[in-house]
Amino acid sequence: MPFIRHAIPTLLIAAALLLAWQGYCRLAEVSPLVLPAPSDVLAALWMDRARLALHLLATVKVTLVGFTLSMVFAFVTSVVLHFTPWLRRGAMPLLVASQTIPIVALAPLMVLWFGFGLLPKVLLVILVTFFPMLLSLLSGYGRLPAAYRDQLISMGAGPLTVFRRATLPVARPLFLAGLRISATYAVVATIFAEYAGARQGLGIYILSAKNNFRADLVLAAVAVSAALTLLLLGLLQLADRLTGRRFRGGDDVAG
Amino acid sequence: MLRVEGLTIRSEDRLLVSDVSFALEEGRITCLIGPSGCGKSSVVKWLSGVLPDGLVAEGATHLDDERLSLPTPAVAYQPQQDSLFPWLTIAENAALGLEVRGMSRSEARAWVLPLLEAFGLGGQAARFPRELSGGMRQRAAFLRTIVQPGRFLLLDEPFSALDAVTRLGMQTWLCERLRETPRGVLMVTHDLYEATQLADRVLVMAARPGRIVADIPITPPRAARTEANLAEIRTVLRSLLMEEMT
Repeated sequence: MPFIRHAIPTLLIAAALLLAWQGYCRLAEVSPLVLPAPSDVLAALWMDRARLALHLLATVKVTLVGFTLSMVFAFVTSVVLHFTPWLRRGAMPLLVASQTIPIVALAPLMVLWFGFGLLPKVLLVILVTFFPMLLSLLSGYGRLPAAYRDQLISMGAGPLTVFRRATLPVARPLFLAGLRISATYAVVATIFAEYAGARQGLGIYILSAKNNFRADLVLAAVAVSAALTLLLLGLLQLADRLTGRRFRGGDDVAG
Repeated sequence: MLRVEGLTIRSEDRLLVSDVSFALEEGRITCLIGPSGCGKSSVVKWLSGVLPDGLVAEGATHLDDERLSLPTPAVAYQPQQDSLFPWLTIAENAALGLEVRGMSRSEARAWVLPLLEAFGLGGQAARFPRELSGGMRQRAAFLRTIVQPGRFLLLDEPFSALDAVTRLGMQTWLCERLRETPRGVLMVTHDLYEATQLADRVLVMAARPGRIVADIPITPPRAARTEANLAEIRTVLRSLLMEEMT
């Protein structure tokens, strides 16, 4: 069971940290208003589970819609940029520059321009997650070995056939790496967008808990958002395992 | 007959290949040997339609009396490394050329599957290249090249990645396959033993710029070739190559 073997050290470290946290809170008699112990956080999470679930659902909806649309946009843009090198040369510096705009500045603007509905939050998730996916796709396309391309061209393949039969499969591992990075950003971006202005979602839940000096509920929401990110990463891993048998194991020659 | 006439290849600052002309006949193996960097691979890549970016070529190719534009379905190319796609099974790799040329997936598979046995790949259809030995991968690459409809095969150092024992076995094996499915072959090699053992004709290239300096027929029948009756030709070839290196 390689998964369990890999997970044991992580679980042990996490358990040790939680125990240390719990011990510190109890022994130093820290006020739960400042730093609640993990057991308090767990209790608060259970007590407020119905409200938390409602907000979690809103966050999941925005994250999934934003992440899916971002994936589609990133793929389409990557294909367009791949086949039009002059456009890629022109657009890449602008895309890189776009990443220097802080999300803190963008989130309130989105709310100002598009209100409190789904759109501003989805747009923010797209803005945050689009670039890592696009970059990983373009980097992946650039990894096509010349020998694969030559082989297909000599068989009479055109650029689209080369793209479909070799460039895309070669780009798969990097694209998946980009997806994983974007998945972690997606939840954070959603919560931040909700923080900037929303009626429901973990962001607004955290904001309201903070305003009521409920550190235990803030941390409960943080734990839920972390679990959501892990779930998203787990789903990506599962999709990779289900679809990627032929891509595993590298290119080694046996004997 | 496939004729190449007046092939000149240059980069921005250098003449790589100058006025190379030769003809390939169906059913015969022509080996192209020469020192490293003389442009052997560039000639083969040009003929395959995959000349690297930054190189410019002039020259003409005629199949019988018809002028060809490149790449052409008349030739099938096998690059230096086997370049099997690691995400495709052996059967899928072998059928790739047929599919790219328009055959349906099922037709292409039906075409290659009965050939696997003859290529020493029986029972390997569903395996991936990483699960096969170097020799088996090379045979799969040959199968992918040979099933294409081209009348001519361009093989760029097909045995260079193999160990000496596997290489000897593969040379014999290739001759047998070509006897069953006769094609005109142009094979680039560094190895003059390989060239004299396999070829009907050896073209010797000189470097700076790459040009053909000798066209030497190998007259003994392949089955009757021995160290003794090839010794003289090998001496001639060796002295030509040494001349080029000094």
